[in-house]
Amino acid sequence: MTECLVAHGCITCGDEALPMRVIEIDCERDLALCVEADGAHSSVEIALVSPVALGEMLLVHAGTALGRGAEGAEAA
Amino acid sequence: MKFVDEFRDAELGRAVAGEILAVVDPDRHYKIMEVCGGHTHSIYKYGIDDLLPSNVELVHGPGCPVCVIPMGRVDDGIALAHEPGVIFTCFGDMVRVPGSTQTLLDAKAQGADVRIVYSPLDALRIAKQNPEREVVFFAIGFETTAPSTALTLRRAKGENVQNFSVMCSHVTIVPPLRALLESPDLRLDGFIGPGHVATVVGARPFQFLPDQYGKPVAISGFEPLDLLQSTLMVLRQLAGGRAEVENQYARVVPWEGNLRALEIMGEVFALRPHFEWRGLGFISQSALRISDAYAEWDAEERFAVPGVRVADPKACQCGEVLKGVIKPWECKVFGTACTPERPIGTCMVSPEGACAAYYNYGRFAREREVA
Repeated sequence: MTECLVAHGCITCGDEALPMRVIEIDCERDLALCVEADGAHSSVEIALVSPVALGEMLLVHAGTALGRGAEGAEAA
Repeated sequence: MKFVDEFRDAELGRAVAGEILAVVDPDRHYKIMEVCGGHTHSIYKYGIDDLLPSNVELVHGPGCPVCVIPMGRVDDGIALAHEPGVIFTCFGDMVRVPGSTQTLLDAKAQGADVRIVYSPLDALRIAKQNPEREVVFFAIGFETTAPSTALTLRRAKGENVQNFSVMCSHVTIVPPLRALLESPDLRLDGFIGPGHVATVVGARPFQFLPDQYGKPVAISGFEPLDLLQSTLMVLRQLAGGRAEVENQYARVVPWEGNLRALEIMGEVFALRPHFEWRGLGFISQSALRISDAYAEWDAEERFAVPGVRVADPKACQCGEVLKGVIKPWECKVFGTACTPERPIGTCMVSPEGACAAYYNYGRFAREREVA
C-alpha cells in the first residue's frame, strides 16, 4: 500500500497512465509482459490494442494497455 | 526512455516558456483549466507554473477520480466491506477516503477484509482463488479506468466467475465540464484537455467546448514539455481569436479514440440518469452503471447497498477547489486540520488531488492574483 501513499501519483488510483515497453507476448491470453522506465515489470492486458510487437511502447493504465506510442513524435 | 526523456528537456522547456511570454497580452489575465488530476500533479511536480507569466493562471479542474467521489458513496462501500464473507477490493487511494464515520482502512482495522489491488483483473483473480467468498471490486475513475473494469467483467462473464461483482462508480468527463461552464462563479478562457481520457474517448467529444462555449482546448500529454506546449497552443488560439480542439498528445491520442475500448464499454456499461459528485452536486448522465447484460455481476443488485447521502463536512472546501473557484491554500483547513496524513477532504487524499499536489510540493500559500 505504501506505493500509493507516496507523492509520485499512483497509476491505478488516478487517471494517470504510464508508457511501458513490451518484452514478452502471450497472444492466447491477450497478455504482455511490459517494463516501465524505472525497470519495474508488469503483466498487461492487451485486448484493446492487440496485436502488439516486441519492443513496442504501450500506454498502460490499471493493468490495461489503452494505446500505443506513435513513432516520430516531436517534443515541441 | 523513449517518449519520456525528450519531453523533459529543460532547454526546450525554457524555449517554449519564452514563446508563451511572447504570445500573452500583458494587460489580460488568463485562466486556463487543466481538467485532469494527473496534469495538476505534473504541474507541481515539475514547477510548470513557475515558468508561466504571472498573468497566466492555471485552474485545477474536477478530473481526480478519487476527489469527486461523494462521502455517501464511500459509506456504501464501507457497508459492503462489512458484509459477512465479503472480500472488498479497491485501488489504494480509496482506502483513505473519509466516509461519514470511518475510512475503508478503519473498516479493515475492525476486521473487514479490505484488499488493495492495482487492477480490476487482480480482484477477479482473488475471486477465482477464493470461490467460497464474495469478492466485490469498488470501481472508480473516468473513461481511462472504465475499459479495464469492462474487460474484467467480460472475463468474469466468459469464465462464469459467480462470486465476483463490481460496485460501479465510474464517471464521465464531459458532463462536469458542462456543469462548470454553466456555473456563474467561474470564468475560464480555455482548457488543457485530459490526455489519457482522450486516449479512450478520442479528441472529438471535446468539440463542444469551442462549438458551444467558444473555448479553446489543447488535449495534452503529462510530461513537462507536453504541458508547456499545450498551454502555448491555448494561448495562441486566444491571441488569434480562434477556438478549436487541438491535439498536442497526438503521439498517443487518436481523434476517434480507442474504438475497441468504446465498444466494450458500450456493452458492459449504461449511463446512470444522474450521479452525485463531490462539491458539484447531482449531474445528469455523468456516471456509468453495469448494463442489464452484466447485471449478475453488479454488486448493487447482489447486495443491499444503503444508498447513503451525506453532506460534505462544513470546514472542507473541496467543492470550491474542484470547481477551480479557490486555490487549495485558500481553504480554511488546508495544511492544518487537513493534511495527506489526516485528510478531511478527498482532494487531500489522492496524489492527483489539487490539495495534495500543493501540499506535497510545498505550495502552502501564495498571494492571490486578482482577475
